[in-house]
Amino acid sequence: MSLRTTVAVVMFSVLVVFFVSTALMLSFGDPMKTEMDDYIIMHTQNETGTNSGITTVVFDYRGFDTLGEATILFSAVSGVLMIFRRVKN
Amino acid sequence: MSQMSKIVRTLSNIAFPFIMIFGFYVIAHGHLTPGGGFQGGAVVASGCIMLLVAYGSTWVFEKIKVSRLSVFESLGALGFIGVAFFGLLFGGWFFNNFLVRNGILFNIVPKTGSTAAEFNTAGVLPLMNFAVGVKVIAGLFVIVLVMAYASSLKEWKQ
Amino acid sequence: MLFEIVNILLLVLTVSSCILAVVTKDLLVAAIALAAMSLLLSLEFYVLQAPDVAIAEAGVGACLSTAIMIIAIKRTKRMEEE
Repeated sequence: MSLRTTVAVVMFSVLVVFFVSTALMLSFGDPMKTEMDDYIIMHTQNETGTNSGITTVVFDYRGFDTLGEATILFSAVSGVLMIFRRVKN
Repeated sequence: MSQMSKIVRTLSNIAFPFIMIFGFYVIAHGHLTPGGGFQGGAVVASGCIMLLVAYGSTWVFEKIKVSRLSVFESLGALGFIGVAFFGLLFGGWFFNNFLVRNGILFNIVPKTGSTAAEFNTAGVLPLMNFAVGVKVIAGLFVIVLVMAYASSLKEWKQ
Repeated sequence: MLFEIVNILLLVLTVSSCILAVVTKDLLVAAIALAAMSLLLSLEFYVLQAPDVAIAEAGVGACLSTAIMIIAIKRTKRMEEE
């Protein structure tokens, strides 16, 4: 058995074990329950006055995440306009 | 890029206002229903890009200035960071929701549990949704517009 | 029971449209198959109760990337050569 076949067999078995153990650990469509979920579901309407909890998490509790996303979009627009700057004239 | 056939143009003319209304609804009701600035902005930019594909990029490129769209994109980013800095100024920390109980607008706090959706709630979140929506509309549209116009040029000088 | 049936049906359709996008020789058919894959994936997100991600996926994946690919395909030959 050559080295490539050995590596391929080992990688394939690792992948199979990974996927099977993950599929056995969590049932599909039923996420793990944590304390953070309960805190956000219980306190989001009182603290921020929002009826949609996801918007509260995205813009208020995890606002820096959205700030990073805005930075990514800004740098993408800057890069595209800089690459195609010759188009304008 | 030249424009497509008459069937495609007529169908996109019919579908365009509905996509616009749905996108602005998703942006404006971001604090009440699923969706928000990014999702609604992506829907509105999708409608504009449908017109871009149907009518050809040179026709759209003559109608709209790229620099103006870029200004809108920067204004959205500045509005988002500005609202966050107002939280630092009035409330004490970055991203503070300073309008939620004592502001003029958006100051109603609903009861905990399943309540009816009131538009006048949620503090600074509608302002942030609006800023991010303007930013995403202008950003995604200007990316595709410039790339489409660059692909439509006949000779590309090296 | 209905939940599992809908899930399995949606995932099988998603994977089969991916395979269609890889196998076919027509580039426009491949772009449309990728759009269908993205739409089915957004439906799967909706079934799994994540409507935010579903709207974002439908807007970005099914419309924006398809528009970019169609604009690129119009400048090339449509059929892939052997």
